[in-house]
Amino acid sequence: MADRSNRVRLVIALVATLAILAPLAWLWQSSLVAKSYSVMGMGYLDYGGGAAGVHDHEAGARSVADITVGTTRKADLRVDLVAAQQNLTIGGKSVPGYTLNGTSPGPTITAREGQLVEVHLRNASVKAGVTLHWHGYHVPAAMDGVAGVTQDEVPIGGEFIYRFVANQIGTYWYHSHQVSNPQVIGGLFGTLVVLPKAGRTDPVDVVAAAHTYAGMKTINGVVGDLKVPAKPGQQVRVRVINTDNGPIETWADTPFRVQAVDGFPVNGPTEVTDRSVTITAGGRADLGITVPSDGKAVRVQISKGTAVAVGAGDPVPPPQPAAALDLLSYGRPTALPFDPATANRHFDYSIGRRPGFVRGAPGLWWSINGHLYPHVPMYVVREGDVVMMHIDNHSGELHPMHLHGHHAVVLARNGVAATGSPWWMDSLNVLDGETYDIAFVANNPGIWLDHCHHLKHAAQGMVAHLMYEGVDTPYRIGGTPRNRPE
Amino acid sequence: MKTAYRVLALIIAAVVAIQAAAIGYAVFAQMNWIENGGTLDKAAFESSAPGSGALLFHAFEGLAVFLIALALLIVSFFAKIPHGVRWAVIVLVCTFVQIALGTLSHLLAPIGALHGAVALVLFGVAVTAAMRARKPAAVEEPVPAQVV
Repeated sequence: MADRSNRVRLVIALVATLAILAPLAWLWQSSLVAKSYSVMGMGYLDYGGGAAGVHDHEAGARSVADITVGTTRKADLRVDLVAAQQNLTIGGKSVPGYTLNGTSPGPTITAREGQLVEVHLRNASVKAGVTLHWHGYHVPAAMDGVAGVTQDEVPIGGEFIYRFVANQIGTYWYHSHQVSNPQVIGGLFGTLVVLPKAGRTDPVDVVAAAHTYAGMKTINGVVGDLKVPAKPGQQVRVRVINTDNGPIETWADTPFRVQAVDGFPVNGPTEVTDRSVTITAGGRADLGITVPSDGKAVRVQISKGTAVAVGAGDPVPPPQPAAALDLLSYGRPTALPFDPATANRHFDYSIGRRPGFVRGAPGLWWSINGHLYPHVPMYVVREGDVVMMHIDNHSGELHPMHLHGHHAVVLARNGVAATGSPWWMDSLNVLDGETYDIAFVANNPGIWLDHCHHLKHAAQGMVAHLMYEGVDTPYRIGGTPRNRPE
Repeated sequence: MKTAYRVLALIIAAVVAIQAAAIGYAVFAQMNWIENGGTLDKAAFESSAPGSGALLFHAFEGLAVFLIALALLIVSFFAKIPHGVRWAVIVLVCTFVQIALGTLSHLLAPIGALHGAVALVLFGVAVTAAMRARKPAAVEEPVPAQVV
């Protein structure tokens, strides 16, 4: 009798164990990715209510590698960049990191509108390989620099040539998109400024790349203030570039104008006095100030701890304003170059967080439309489509959302329509609990990442793609070469 | 199996203590950093500012506790410890509540206070579960002698 009771008990125990382990094993198994895989086979196709056409590896698809500016036109500006893995000296301390041409940040590439820029990237010693992504720039797809999607990683001794026409004026930056999570934090980036054909619009033009190395805040790789000489009455443009994983606030002790956001000019910018400007991870803002006629130095504070000090003297850091400028209502409205009401693709990008497995690892992971990586949406468009995207963040944390190869215009936040200058952006600070409606024209064929620019989040699987139908990629993530875009 | 049950329960208690230590370290590392002129904002926090590593570890390890609690429950099915399953379920529920509170604290900071307090409850129930596994089954439920 006792034996029977023991047997029954054992059976119940085994069934209960199975009831716990079987679903977990199934979830674990379905989260695994192959050693090497193509983004074309990842997740599920989302047509956004538009036409379903040629996709995937179907016949007639053109390779992303062939979407270039061609080879016939000679470069107007050639830049050679050598990537290295080495210790950096930041604030007197030695920290492990990466350099381009021996420095971090790498050199500022300054081009004129319309020039063909040719960048020769060589990898001297970065063990994991390297690429360069042109953040915010509408380069031809083959030049987007995403390992495993638009090219293979450049191994030690290897070289890759990036060619694109500088058609957008403004403030941009470039960074590695191979193992980007440690490489960008470690300093493998630089800045790109494209001036109008006629040259500078402001007599004093300052690039200020904000980056935190091993906890130390810097501007252009230097701890402390960046001193900029300027004469009384001069116009100064401060190009603030946030290369970190989280947003920063910028403000000044003198009225300033937000002249551009993410490279695109703001229409009719007004003077800002009691607000800070939030620059999300990967985002840029050009702040315009006028040096006071008495020559008094002014400070453009880039978060607490670093500043651009313009003019003579050493002004006291101004207190941080209590509120941030709302770009939704800043500047003067003007007509958009397209009509969002004619949108023929409507996508959702709903960001959540839930327990599960990603690549076999258990955790509380970021979800996109309820799915965990790699079961994420592949947004499919056709060239010329007008695309609307509804972003909804209910994940408990903010996410700086970045779409490659395009700028989108913000139409509304939390259902409230934009009333200011068209707010063009490529990097959007989406707070927890917020929704955004954005729109763009699909005018740059390719396969483009649409991901969180908190690069640790991207490495945790917060990456979707925008795919133009009829475009394929020969590159693969994983395998040999060992492409790891995040 | 009894030993496995006891060891798993003790590991959970130990991990809860490590969790508290990580938070204590993170708070003071950040305070020291700020007092010495460092700036802590989201950008610095997400780029290896002192203490941020400990906070990330805290979040990661919290989930590890849940997995250990699941293992404890499975072991309890076979360990034949009086009320062993019940205590394993209590530990698992406490762990789940802790993760939920920790997640919700991002939305509403006062929930963080509850998260801290429930940690002590989880520590207590884990130790209690471990102690139950130590008692020999024969003397688990002694029948009191009747005094005539």
